[in-house]
Amino acid sequence: MSLLLLAGCHQSVDEVSVRSENVGFTRTEPVSVNVAPAASTENPINGLKRTGIEPNFLKIPAIDVEAQVQHLGVTENGEMAVPNNIEDVSWFSPGYVPGENGRSVIAGHVDGVDGPAIFWDLAKLQLGDEVVIQGEEKTLTFKVHTMESVPLDLADVTKVFGYTSSPELVLITCSGTYDFDRGTREERLIVYASLVEE
Amino acid sequence: MKKILFSFSVAMVLVFSLLASGVMADSHMAKVRVVHASPDAPAVDVYVNGELTLEDVPFKADSGYLDVPAGTHDVEVFASGTEYAAGEGVLQADLAVEAGKAYTVAAANTLDSIEFVVAEDSMEVSDGKAKVRVGHLSPDAPAVDVGVIGGDALFSGAEFPGITDYAELDADTYDLEIRLPDGTQVLPLEGTELAANTVYSVFAVNTVDSLEVIALVDYEAAESPDGMPTTGLGTPNESQAMWLLLGGAVVLIGVSSLVWRKRFQQ
Repeated sequence: MSLLLLAGCHQSVDEVSVRSENVGFTRTEPVSVNVAPAASTENPINGLKRTGIEPNFLKIPAIDVEAQVQHLGVTENGEMAVPNNIEDVSWFSPGYVPGENGRSVIAGHVDGVDGPAIFWDLAKLQLGDEVVIQGEEKTLTFKVHTMESVPLDLADVTKVFGYTSSPELVLITCSGTYDFDRGTREERLIVYASLVEE
Repeated sequence: MKKILFSFSVAMVLVFSLLASGVMADSHMAKVRVVHASPDAPAVDVYVNGELTLEDVPFKADSGYLDVPAGTHDVEVFASGTEYAAGEGVLQADLAVEAGKAYTVAAANTLDSIEFVVAEDSMEVSDGKAKVRVGHLSPDAPAVDVGVIGGDALFSGAEFPGITDYAELDADTYDLEIRLPDGTQVLPLEGTELAANTVYSVFAVNTVDSLEVIALVDYEAAESPDGMPTTGLGTPNESQAMWLLLGGAVVLIGVSSLVWRKRFQQ
């Protein structure tokens, strides 16, 4: 027991919090516009909606991430549910589907009890890095355009999971220093990516 | 029919309720979508608060929703490629937007009398229903109705420049038309598929002799959770030590109970 107590006094660096200290970027060039197709005999109202794919597998080549995607909803207290292992990621399946308009959200752990988890290196992503979503019959590629680390109390859930006029993918993991009272880290690292049109 | 042409002079100041659940994260952002609906105007650059935000927007194009902070923004339109000079644009307005709301800002009318038409967009729809509204943005077209061919009008007496309220309908396929109040068809929209949980805007644009529509999706419904995910199973050293302590205690208890059990068994 005395050995264990000594271990408790030992201070070492909390790497997750160091890594997420000064992260964040956003695209600065003007937004591209949707140009209506040339007038055709087709009804312009039809074909406006996009169909997405249910994600089965996630690949982020820039940080060597390859993960199974679980389809989860909310926990008992209403939070977005996450896998109970450190290798998989979870897609918030009651929300938007990847490839549809709107922000579809995938979350993964930053660390496990013994060290790095699937989204350990998420903070290393850079503008333009590719995120690949594989579904049953189709693969979609998204490009990272924004990263932010947001204090939990300031995180705008309705925005992060909200509607957009184009398909977006959002990746979330924990960041910031550990809040022992809450039992979770103080911030969330949020990465926004937009669909690369075929 | 009620026009919801918003006046820019009406400052829509948002007062955040401090009573609302303490430090709960309120949305401080609004959504704004710009539509080029001026048939004879060139492609334009749009500056928001002096910054180039949309570049080379041609007639009939839309920007999709942009996230902008709640408050009043200086929106100014220039012919594409023109050097920016405050107040020198072909069109300028101070646009007041409220947090959590969405707006369509259309540049309408012919170039010599170009004007903004602003409407608040719906970001909700009853489960399983479709919502649609129409905008009359054709400067020289007469007032029109939009309705089912051979049936009732969904929207009556839409006039330039105006955007109607929404009508909520069953998700279905409709044979619609734009027609004059006397029933003469102006533009057929047969086989219009209105999907469930979706909000649409249909804007009639261009001059009356080449009338056409821009169709936009304003919103598609989906759920969101109440809170962000808890995405770290690990804890920094301090608490790992706590766990070790706890673990140690559990082991000790386990061992001691084993010892006791052994004694009882003996």
